[in-house]
Amino acid sequence: MPEGTRIHYQEELASLEARALDGIDLVTRQLEKAVECVEHQDTELAGLVLTNDDVIDGRYLEIHQSILTLLATQAPVATDLRLIAALLHLMKAIERMGDQCVNIAKVIPIAGHQPPADERIVNDVVTMGRQVKTQLSQAKRAFAERDVEMARDLVRQDDLVDNLNKEIFRIALEIGDDHDRREWAMTMILVARAVERIGDNTVDIGEQVAFVVTGLFREFQDASHPGASLPTA
Amino acid sequence: MEGRVVTEPEKQQERSVPGIDLGDTVAEAHDGARAQSFQARDAVFKLSEVTVSYGDNPAVSDVSMEMYKNAITALIGPSGCGKSTLIRCLNRMNDLIPSAGMTGKVLYHGQDIYDPEIDPVEVRKRIGMVFQKPNPFPKSIYENIAFGPRILGMNGDMDEIVENALLRAALWDEVKDRLETNAFGMSGGQQQRLCIARCLAVNPDVILMDEPCSALDPISTGKIEDLMFELKKDYSIIIVTHNMQQAARVSDMTAFLIVKLDADEKHRQGRLVEYDATEKIFTNPSDRRTEDYVTGKVG
Repeated sequence: MPEGTRIHYQEELASLEARALDGIDLVTRQLEKAVECVEHQDTELAGLVLTNDDVIDGRYLEIHQSILTLLATQAPVATDLRLIAALLHLMKAIERMGDQCVNIAKVIPIAGHQPPADERIVNDVVTMGRQVKTQLSQAKRAFAERDVEMARDLVRQDDLVDNLNKEIFRIALEIGDDHDRREWAMTMILVARAVERIGDNTVDIGEQVAFVVTGLFREFQDASHPGASLPTA
Repeated sequence: MEGRVVTEPEKQQERSVPGIDLGDTVAEAHDGARAQSFQARDAVFKLSEVTVSYGDNPAVSDVSMEMYKNAITALIGPSGCGKSTLIRCLNRMNDLIPSAGMTGKVLYHGQDIYDPEIDPVEVRKRIGMVFQKPNPFPKSIYENIAFGPRILGMNGDMDEIVENALLRAALWDEVKDRLETNAFGMSGGQQQRLCIARCLAVNPDVILMDEPCSALDPISTGKIEDLMFELKKDYSIIIVTHNMQQAARVSDMTAFLIVKLDADEKHRQGRLVEYDATEKIFTNPSDRRTEDYVTGKVG
């Protein structure tokens, strides 16, 4: 129970944040299913992933409307204002991550029921999925606990995903001359790319944690200047 | 002084993060631009360790800050924090209260306004004041404006002085056909703009506003705020307001004061907690107490 004055407003803001962060759990469940589709070539489950995306889109719209109402009626400032700006970014990231799960699900029927799968690639996709799931959980915790160090650690975590993505690409290049195997490998490149993007989104959420806490927005990773030192502010 | 007043050079230092890549240079340039506009400005007022007391009880203690030219400076804080007392000492209005006393220095363009050689009437001519409740004289609109210039023996065409003052206060079009009617017949918002016009008629340099909109409806408040934006091109404005959103909307710099109990817990006195660019105060204040106040978590 919040203390001080404007208790109703504080409760409203806390509930808004909780519902927004729960959106990360919706993505986690979608990602689990999407990776399972790849692992077991399950086209039915892929259909479910497509349908379930409406839940994430609905959450996005719900939070977006609540934020507009809060801005219009409560005029939040200072940390509250930064939190609200961060929640808008968070929801956009959640909506995008949901779409990436849809992208994965959409390629499953293309690959077919019994595709000429390469075990190494499937294993790498599963490992990527597991890693990104961990990152989603870490991003959620870092946000809820306003833990900038935990948020910044997502960059290190995400390197694992990037490396697996590159490895899948390399294996796909060397998969041989069989037309069906090459086609399947191409779809897996798309899958790996989608999972890798979800990993990137967890880093984006981490950057929003740093913004809420410090008031400064700095990219943890600058794509246009790779290898640059990480900000400490 | 309580808390921390962030000076411009400190602000620059705080915002620069050494060893950051080009992407951050872009971000810093954005942050730095917010502070830059004030760097070049002259200080109209420089307050050093100002304490104002009523009898033996300090109402506001140890305030040091600068207020800038052609800027709107807002003083915010809970009731009893001494913001009205502080603004009143900027044009020696507290002189009119027998028990009031002041220590410290108030420099106006480098001149100590409490120097015994200084004429308080001259101070109040250059540093005008508008109060919470519109207080027109029980005279015609024209006479309300002409009163000050006449008393001060100002030269020039009085009709022109009156018209100019009403034009600058964005009131001319509304009253030009009824200048001889009694000012009490005007709406509250018009009366407040008349008081601003009255203040402008004697060619001040600074306008002090002590909760100028607290008795006005939102439309009249909007008109006064629009007027403030126009006036700051030619004048420096210091405003006391209880309305946090008004401070956020109109001011360039914001000072936050709190009420503190003395060690004996019998007397309350105001203290300056934080003074910074308004954007900073309302997006990322440095002091927890400012944060709690502007977000409304404490009254």
